[in-house]
Amino acid sequence: MDLSGLKDKLSYVRKVNGNIAIGALTTPEDLAETFLHKDKKYLGFYDIYKKFASPILKPLATIGGNIGVAVSASDYLTFLLTLNAKVKLVSVEGERLVSLEELVVEKRTLAKDPNELIYEIIFPELPENYSTAFMKIDRREVIITGYITTAVCLKIEDNKIADVRIAFDRVNKRIPGRAKKTEEFLKGKEFSVDTIREAYNKVFPAEIVRKSDFRASGEYRLDLSKVLMKRTLLQAKSRIVEGV
Amino acid sequence: MALSTAEYVRIIEELFEKVKKFTYVGKHMQRWDAIEKILGKARFTADYANLYRNLVYVYSVRAKYAHAKIRKIDVSEAEKVSGVLKVITPKDIPGVNDVGYVIPDQPLLAYSKVRYIGDTVALIVAEDPYIAEEAGEKVYVDYEPLPVIIDPLEIVDPVTLEEKKHVLIHDERESDIVARYRIRTGDVKKGFEQSSVIVENEYRTQYAEHAYMEPEAALAIPEPDGGITIIASTQCPYEARRAISKVLGMPFNKVRVVAPPLGGGFGGKEDVANEIGAKAAIATLLTGRPAIAVHTREESIIGHSKRHPAIMWYKHGATRDGKLVAVEARIILDTGAYASLGPFVAWRATVHSVGPYKVPNAKVDTVTVYTNGVYAGAFRGFGNPQIHFAVEQQMDLLAEELGMDPVEFRLKNILRNGDRTVHRQLLDHGVGLEEALVKAAEAADWYRKRAEYAKQTGTVRRGIGVALLWHGNSIGAEGADYSAVSIIINRDGSITFRTGLTDMGQGAIQGLIMLAAEVLGVPPEYFRVEMPDTASVPDAGPTVASRTTAMGGNATLVAAYKLRKKLNEVAADMLKCSPDDIEIKAPEVYCRGDPARKIRWIDLIEECFWRGVSLQEYGYYRAPKARWDDEVGHGEPYFTYTFGAIMAEVVVDMETGKTYVERIVTAYDIGRVVNRVGAELHAEGGAIQGLGYALMEEIVHSPEGKVWNPNLYAYYIPTILDVPKEIISVFVEAGYIRGPFGAKGLGEPSINGIAPAIANAIANAVGVRIKSLPMTPEKVYLELKRKGLIKL
Amino acid sequence: MSTEEYPEIEITLNVNGKDYTVKVKPYERLLDVLRYKLGLTSVKEGCGRGECGTCAVIMDGKLVASCLVLAVQARGKKILTLEGLTPPGKLHAIQKALLDTYAMQCGFCFPGVIMAMKSLLDRNPDPTEDEIREALSGNLCRCGSYLRFIKAAKLAAEYIRKGQVYFEFKG
Repeated sequence: MDLSGLKDKLSYVRKVNGNIAIGALTTPEDLAETFLHKDKKYLGFYDIYKKFASPILKPLATIGGNIGVAVSASDYLTFLLTLNAKVKLVSVEGERLVSLEELVVEKRTLAKDPNELIYEIIFPELPENYSTAFMKIDRREVIITGYITTAVCLKIEDNKIADVRIAFDRVNKRIPGRAKKTEEFLKGKEFSVDTIREAYNKVFPAEIVRKSDFRASGEYRLDLSKVLMKRTLLQAKSRIVEGV
Repeated sequence: MALSTAEYVRIIEELFEKVKKFTYVGKHMQRWDAIEKILGKARFTADYANLYRNLVYVYSVRAKYAHAKIRKIDVSEAEKVSGVLKVITPKDIPGVNDVGYVIPDQPLLAYSKVRYIGDTVALIVAEDPYIAEEAGEKVYVDYEPLPVIIDPLEIVDPVTLEEKKHVLIHDERESDIVARYRIRTGDVKKGFEQSSVIVENEYRTQYAEHAYMEPEAALAIPEPDGGITIIASTQCPYEARRAISKVLGMPFNKVRVVAPPLGGGFGGKEDVANEIGAKAAIATLLTGRPAIAVHTREESIIGHSKRHPAIMWYKHGATRDGKLVAVEARIILDTGAYASLGPFVAWRATVHSVGPYKVPNAKVDTVTVYTNGVYAGAFRGFGNPQIHFAVEQQMDLLAEELGMDPVEFRLKNILRNGDRTVHRQLLDHGVGLEEALVKAAEAADWYRKRAEYAKQTGTVRRGIGVALLWHGNSIGAEGADYSAVSIIINRDGSITFRTGLTDMGQGAIQGLIMLAAEVLGVPPEYFRVEMPDTASVPDAGPTVASRTTAMGGNATLVAAYKLRKKLNEVAADMLKCSPDDIEIKAPEVYCRGDPARKIRWIDLIEECFWRGVSLQEYGYYRAPKARWDDEVGHGEPYFTYTFGAIMAEVVVDMETGKTYVERIVTAYDIGRVVNRVGAELHAEGGAIQGLGYALMEEIVHSPEGKVWNPNLYAYYIPTILDVPKEIISVFVEAGYIRGPFGAKGLGEPSINGIAPAIANAIANAVGVRIKSLPMTPEKVYLELKRKGLIKL
Repeated sequence: MSTEEYPEIEITLNVNGKDYTVKVKPYERLLDVLRYKLGLTSVKEGCGRGECGTCAVIMDGKLVASCLVLAVQARGKKILTLEGLTPPGKLHAIQKALLDTYAMQCGFCFPGVIMAMKSLLDRNPDPTEDEIREALSGNLCRCGSYLRFIKAAKLAAEYIRKGQVYFEFKG
């Protein structure tokens, strides 16, 4: 079914009642032209864009498609989980709002009816003192799945971690998920590399399952998850405190 | 009849001695085909489809298992699909059902068993490609699966190299050993006894994929007299003709093969073109219509040859003062399901196995085995990228043990003029390795950086590494090594150049034109290069083994020399001076002693026409016969060697294990730079391909023999974001007397030294050695972790 | 469904400045229309999955993989391929720059690379090296001319800034 005729209706980024709404047919290229790539709170979108597929695909891929395909390499899905995003589903029977976590159940499996259309993605605007970051590492720089991917949304107040959300390409299912126990551990603590280290060595390994496949071993993926957790948090903090 | 006194050899030697100043040779020149390619007008094989009406499409039905007996094949359902013209199975092949390049072990269409996942069991010929594919799903094969072997160590013992008991892949040959080679020089046992330091390690390299941007294609056209013309993406039109004639059971002169420009080859379009060409040809034969076969990227990856994975065990011994005393090696090459060029790859690997050094005692044993992986064949380097990865790390490790600088240690052991190789071959001239190494060290600022990088802290570190390489030119003892061109000066003074050597991007043909231009005294723009076509160009031998400049160049010089002599005679008569006095700087021709006595080029040509002096010359050159004693691996395997020194600078991020290559310095002794642009592009392109081989490329088979990553999304070749800021190319000209003005080849040598230079740079940066390719971030990180050098 | 059961759909699109009306099957791609129906063979099929860049064309001002655009999705759009880059007998500054930097090897990736450079220079007339690398990151070149692409893009930008967009050449 070709949805390209709906492009005008479903491609937008809007502020609505304290939320940000992104139309399902918005492409990464479209996003790059909006405030989401410039506002330091939302630079996670910029990070994804830099590593997303390649230039010839950025005008063709869609946010709705990225979520709908529901695989661990769905970078926007991973990131939007840290923004507590919801999805508006529309059908002839009406519309409903469902959280991303509830919608994406497992690999390539969505909790929606086949005749429901992903219409838009909504998440609350981030207040001041928040920022975001996303990282993906692989053997080369671009056109990659990533050994793993990491997304964070962080709030710093008085050098403390006032709020933190951390998502990975996989946590304990074959789809992106949040490392909630690690988040809980970090909340309220002083922001420092030592704290992060404690979190990723003591709490994190218990809640994440890293498997081996032909691309990489579970051991490397786990360690790399720790490194990228640290680096994305440092990046987000730098954006909050230093603006860059 | 002594070949060494052949006239063509005499001509080459004379030109080497006499000509010291050049107008075109060594300069930067635009390629003859640059304009058509830049306009997007160049016609690659698949682009020909638009020119033919009434085309039929050929689809290959491939194996469902990597190893299975075929009990029965039922194509009746497929034949019924509307739009299907024919379903071709082995019984329809009129000639011999075999496309094996060296050994006749590879059926075009599998009949008794399938041996790898890309084996073709039937061909669908249909009115459009979608119908063909649909019908392909309706071919039912009754398979009896057999055990799949992916690990060569299940075929052969790693220490004894003896064949192990297993369910044979090539039961018709009664053994899965394809070839064995050896070197026995001196006495390694004594050598190791004399050694103060001994270094012993195992190294492994991976299956690699050519990943040229143009997938394979072939278009066959029926000729009115019953012959068939095949336009195919082939590096070797004459080899393709031979292979297709064999399959069709037709004489060579009724099978015409045309080779358009290739969108990359690197050795990959050496034998698969025979297979896809034969498929298109047989479809045309049986339907009477033009037929096209094009590979998808996935088919290309699972259906054509790869680079041989290698398991290599090396033991090196040296004395306290830094002299190499003994090298012992066992090399196992996995050629996958079919031999392809495997026997030759193993031979070249053996010849080069100890590196470009003086080695008084050596014991090398190489064995090539079949497995059920995708078959391996020719790929840039042809066994040398593998062994250099091992040898050059061994040399670095010896230097470490001895507390010597790696460059200093190598300088103590490299081959120089007057030395004998490990095969007892005397290299009395033409060894430019020392100059290359010294120049590379200078360009890379080696000594200062080694000192600086020794005192680093932090988790992001820099390193610089060196690797030397050598590469015998042309095919050595593989077969009869000859080349040929024909040069025709047309009556209007324009020139037609014909050769069976093909262009796959390497641009060596430009070098041939420059050589001809140099000798004739005409600008390269006067030449037009005809497409390689077995109907009209001379058989120049295959375009492989970095031989186009070395061998085609000589053939070109011979043809041009003969033409020049004729032109000189006629011009001398017209201008009343001696033939040796004739200077041709087209469009002018004059007497060197009295430039006022002159004529125009076109007048000279016209005069030749009226005097009955034919201005069409065929240039033939045959290389000196290689000598190789199988028992001890001695002789003269190659007539000359290209040498090189590579220095790679890296930055390693220890927390992720990722290696970033900042800079690569290459210094190649190529005898004489003919096509300078081509040489520079080889140095750069080879460095980039080598970087991919070193850090990211790997074809992975599942235990069932399927390829996990048959696409460009999961098989990682370098993108523009992965290449260093700088690749510097330096050239050394230690001319070889029987090369065209001393020139040697560079196509393959330009990849040999890259991976080991990067490996040595990583070791210098972070203190760990990765002994298997690719040196992924994971391998580097886990090794650092194991050694306690990084803790999160 | 077998291919015969799919209906043909008529679409109109503008390619290299001219309108074309063609009949396409719903599963046919923009690549198929350009390469086979319109004979624009500069548009190559290197992988069919958007991973190599050899099929890159400019569609409504955006660089896209034509192998991943369905023909029907291209209806009403303006497409530019290499054939439409210059008037006959001329070279575009990008082509001139690639010749001046001697970047040519097998040439198979060039049409896609030239389109990527055009797309870049249209948006950004004075790109940095990093911007050039990013813009060309979807174009694979196995022969390894990447470093020359960077030099060529800078040189082309310079030519264009000086007003030299087209160059004469003797064919």
